[in-house]
Amino acid sequence: MLKHNLLAASLLALAAAAAPALAQDSSKYPDWSGQWKRPPGAGIQWDQTKRPGLDQQPPLTPEYQAIFDASLADQAKGGQGDNIRVTCSTNGMPRVMTVIRPIEFVVQPKMTYVIFESYMPRRIYTDGRSFPTDQEPAMIGYSIGNWKDEDGDGRFDLLEVETRNFKGPRNLEATGLPLHRDNQTVVKERFRLDKSAKDTLLNEITVIDNAFTRPWTITKKYIREQGKVIWNEDECGENNNHVVIGKENYFLSADGLLMPTKKGQQPPDLRYFSQTGN
Amino acid sequence: MLFQRSANTVALAAALCAACTVAFADDSKYPEWRGQWRRPPGIGIQWDPTKALGPPQQAPLTPEYQKVFEASMADQRAGGQGGDPTYTCIPPGMPRAMTVVFPMDIIILPEATYIIIEYSNQVRRIYTDGRDWPKDAEPAFLGYSVGKWVDEDGDGKYDVLEVETRGMKGPRSFDASGLPLHVDNDTVVKERIYLDKSNRDVLIDEVTTLDKALTRPWTVTKKYVREKKNVIWFEYNCTENNRHVQIGKDNYYVSADGFLMPVRKGQGPPDLKYFKDAQQ
Repeated sequence: MLKHNLLAASLLALAAAAAPALAQDSSKYPDWSGQWKRPPGAGIQWDQTKRPGLDQQPPLTPEYQAIFDASLADQAKGGQGDNIRVTCSTNGMPRVMTVIRPIEFVVQPKMTYVIFESYMPRRIYTDGRSFPTDQEPAMIGYSIGNWKDEDGDGRFDLLEVETRNFKGPRNLEATGLPLHRDNQTVVKERFRLDKSAKDTLLNEITVIDNAFTRPWTITKKYIREQGKVIWNEDECGENNNHVVIGKENYFLSADGLLMPTKKGQQPPDLRYFSQTGN
Repeated sequence: MLFQRSANTVALAAALCAACTVAFADDSKYPEWRGQWRRPPGIGIQWDPTKALGPPQQAPLTPEYQKVFEASMADQRAGGQGGDPTYTCIPPGMPRAMTVVFPMDIIILPEATYIIIEYSNQVRRIYTDGRDWPKDAEPAFLGYSVGKWVDEDGDGKYDVLEVETRGMKGPRSFDASGLPLHVDNDTVVKERIYLDKSNRDVLIDEVTTLDKALTRPWTVTKKYVREKKNVIWFEYNCTENNRHVQIGKDNYYVSADGFLMPVRKGQGPPDLKYFKDAQQ
């Protein structure tokens, strides 16, 4: 019996290898097509169910709670704190999954793409590969996914994703809610359609990071646009009036001149102009 | 005016898509363009890859735009950025994106073909669902692309993707020399994309640009080579550690030790009057 099963499995494997790519069965995959947005009223904080800032109640270590407090204090004075987005640096994972602007999923047999209006796309590899040992760290990390058929109906309904290999600086929201500077973050996601509303996609995100005292799980919801789908191009670098020189951030006025962002802020050091005789 | 057609098709397509199942392209009908595509070895990032950057491009510019081009090159010789707008991390837009400075990935779906370029958030959606031009789409650096699959050799399988792109915004240039496009942004880009019949790992893009900075349509042919071994995708975020700073109409540079520097001989420092105002 076992021999027959092995033979059958071998024949199936041979048939699969010989079959053209069109044999990839799209009916096995869930329909995540379309445009996905934050639900009405949901802000851009990390945990959608709580207000940004201290109300998030992040499980930060004392060291990183102090970093968070310093970021909030700097923002209270007019600075940007640790919100790296001010220079148009990409938000990286997992913050990009807040979905500030709409996203699109392109599900393919070996890969699922998450396409953003503001950032480079995520490639979630579902071809059975392992994490590479020689990949450059990235703000978006390196994602490996695994499709699951949880309800046994012969169709995938859950995409489990693990993302590693980050660089930074990254944080979780505009308040500067920090991730550890060692960039050893591991993000685990479980994507699935809401069984009661097929136009709601749920993303259960667990962040494991040395800035936290424990893994932190939150759930993001995305709603499929039912009206006209329009994709815009969100280029942060276009007309960004924030300017960072050294460790100071300034602002460009409407008439194109450099302005302070905090009371008493000194102008930039112009030493290289005097050295060059300018 | 070029960009005024019915928006109803877009709405209908969106409504239909909400009800559709996930669709993979039927490989018996569509060409195999998967993989990572790069410029061929030795090919630079100039617009016409067969000619050197700058005047050797022999761009068919109008006299007005020839002067714009010459001013750009003169500024670059003096240390400036000339008419190349990308130094502040503005994306190259169309058609320059198809120079493929960094590798690209192509996904073919029945309703659209995606060209994903490994630079910033440059993703082209080429709609092949029969839609017309929308009348209310925001102009974009990449424009709005409508494509049509063609079976040229009649073998029952598509082999050419014909694309037209409109609805662009600027500033854009053809290449890093500042080779200009018209400031009215009424550019129309027509492309014919197909595999080389003698080498299925070479993709060809015949790009014709119609623009009022040009005296005639200008066609160049770009080639891309498929990377087959050890495909690695990098993250190229222009804004990460970009040392160029634009203040007013002048550009400066931030030194390695974090100070503002001039980029041209004799360049004055920025006007800091708002600091004086704030300190009064």
